[in-house]
Amino acid sequence: MTQARHDMNRRRERLRVILQLTPILAVLFVLFGGALVLAVLQSLGFAPWFGVNTFPDFSYFGALWSSASFWWSLGLTLYYATVSTVIALVLAVLLALALIKAFPGKTFYKYLYKLPLMIPYTVGIALAVLMLSNGGMLSRLAAFAGLIDDPGQFPQILKTHYGWGIIAVYVWKQVPFITLAVYAVLLGIGRETEEAAAILGADRKTIFFRVTLPQILPGIVSSTLICFAFNVGAFEAPFILGGGFPDTLPVVAWRYFNDADYTLQLQGMATVVSIGLVSGVILFAYLAAYRRYEMNMGRN
Amino acid sequence: MTKVQLSGVRKLFGTFTAIENIDLTIESGELVALLGPSGCGKTTTLRMVAGLEAPTSGEIMFDDKDVSHLPVQDRNVGMVFQRYALFPHMTVEKNVAFGLSVRKVPKAEIEERLAEILDVVQLSGFRHRFPAQLSGGQMQRVAIARTLITKPSVLMMDEPLANLDTKLRGEMRRFIRNLQQRFGITTIFVTHDQVEAMELADRVAVIFDGHLAQYDTPDTLYRQPHSTDVADFMGAGNLFAARLAAPDRAETAFGTLRVAPREDLRTGEEIDVVLREEAIDMLDRPDAATHQALSGEIVARDFFGANVNYTVVCGDARLSVSEQSRRLLDVGSTVWLDIPPDRIWLMSR
Repeated sequence: MTQARHDMNRRRERLRVILQLTPILAVLFVLFGGALVLAVLQSLGFAPWFGVNTFPDFSYFGALWSSASFWWSLGLTLYYATVSTVIALVLAVLLALALIKAFPGKTFYKYLYKLPLMIPYTVGIALAVLMLSNGGMLSRLAAFAGLIDDPGQFPQILKTHYGWGIIAVYVWKQVPFITLAVYAVLLGIGRETEEAAAILGADRKTIFFRVTLPQILPGIVSSTLICFAFNVGAFEAPFILGGGFPDTLPVVAWRYFNDADYTLQLQGMATVVSIGLVSGVILFAYLAAYRRYEMNMGRN
Repeated sequence: MTKVQLSGVRKLFGTFTAIENIDLTIESGELVALLGPSGCGKTTTLRMVAGLEAPTSGEIMFDDKDVSHLPVQDRNVGMVFQRYALFPHMTVEKNVAFGLSVRKVPKAEIEERLAEILDVVQLSGFRHRFPAQLSGGQMQRVAIARTLITKPSVLMMDEPLANLDTKLRGEMRRFIRNLQQRFGITTIFVTHDQVEAMELADRVAVIFDGHLAQYDTPDTLYRQPHSTDVADFMGAGNLFAARLAAPDRAETAFGTLRVAPREDLRTGEEIDVVLREEAIDMLDRPDAATHQALSGEIVARDFFGANVNYTVVCGDARLSVSEQSRRLLDVGSTVWLDIPPDRIWLMSR
């Protein structure tokens, strides 16, 4: 008798929890789960609204992955994303370390460095075109200073597969973001552990690598994770500033979506899902490596 | 063992003067407290001795050698921070060994000295713990071990007892005292708490607004402060203006006091008198044998367990009297106060 009542109470309790969670679960499903499921279904040949339904059909992935250009595109995508994240990280850590110190005009500078955060990527791309292209500000200034005879002789920065223009835009936009995250962590840990290390005889290099860096690592990992994921999936910068074929994967996907033959949208979806898979695997590996590092230090 | 000397030390931060001018000698093996209200410059003084700040002018000397501009890494001092500043990402053993490993001491020697110092601070069983897994007292002992393992010539501590609860406080006080005597290491600590300064230090340097106000043993500071500021900071409750009517008589707002004559004070001089709360005897009936003839009325009673504090209105003044709570007198009762003349401290203005 009492056992039965106990069971009923537990069931009622569980039902109450599920009901309370329903709103957030619904939002999560519609926003993330739904879109993801739909993308995967489409890439596997399920698109009855186009009159295509060959589900499950792996030929879209097959076609994509067997072409050499896909791998070129993947390489370029990862190259731009990695190089710009690494450069932004190094600059941001240096900037954050500088911002911790007192210097004249610090308040003004603390506003100034955040400026790119408020300016959209497209404006940044336009700025890159204005500044860095042949015929842009830098080339004209170089010609004016007599370094080159004609602005046209300025080295090609944009629209090459080295992607310096793309990298410049990403770095310009993401340095403030990573700086903000690292600076906040630095403020939180304070100067004391560094001072303690100095008194114990450590030089500046040792202090940075053995005391400061391990403490700001959580901030570095989370902010670079976000930047890298964005850089892998970003479209505008490589589209406008990239070197043309082979394009980065998001640009490839966009070309499929934009094609007059709308059945190519399924190929596009396969590209999108591939981007998701690749960045998912990389981010997961990154987090796992960091987790392992933390475990090695004995933290759980 | 190192003698520490500050001579004419001055420190400016921009236009703000943190230290006006300080001369201070700390003998080798001595335990000295820098005592003062917050913002008085005591921490700045400590940081200058450590080498974290450079004095704007003046000299800091270790054993008569000027170290004012020696980089902090080369100064061979030890510092225990108020919140310990342990490296949160290192275990106790890595924290403690840090100073030796940056000095590139051979592994075997590090291990040996580590075991030895962990034994001294009684933390041998906590080697593999992280700071977050330790109590406040244990963290402080790790911080002390991390410092002592490098054999510093001067040990510095910032508010060593401030973050500990009452029971641990007594324990740590004895621990620090023993350690300091065992290693004979010159020790300087900073505190804003006069009790902490008195219970730990051989000598106390009282600092107000970047000036050294008085530098004496705890009992001298307590009983014979040089100024009303020092007296006030050392917790003197009964501080009154008076006039020296005769070499052995001071006139106050609550009556005439018989005092011990002092050669350095002139008759007729305006002075301040300090009556320590515990030096006042309170009688419930007049007695012809007393030194003083002061009567008053108890207007308040604060009970603290072992002690009880009374506020007594006496003439135009309110005196506070502290006694052990062997008896309790009622608010409203009339009492007679007696103070031996030699327990009354006089200060010229």
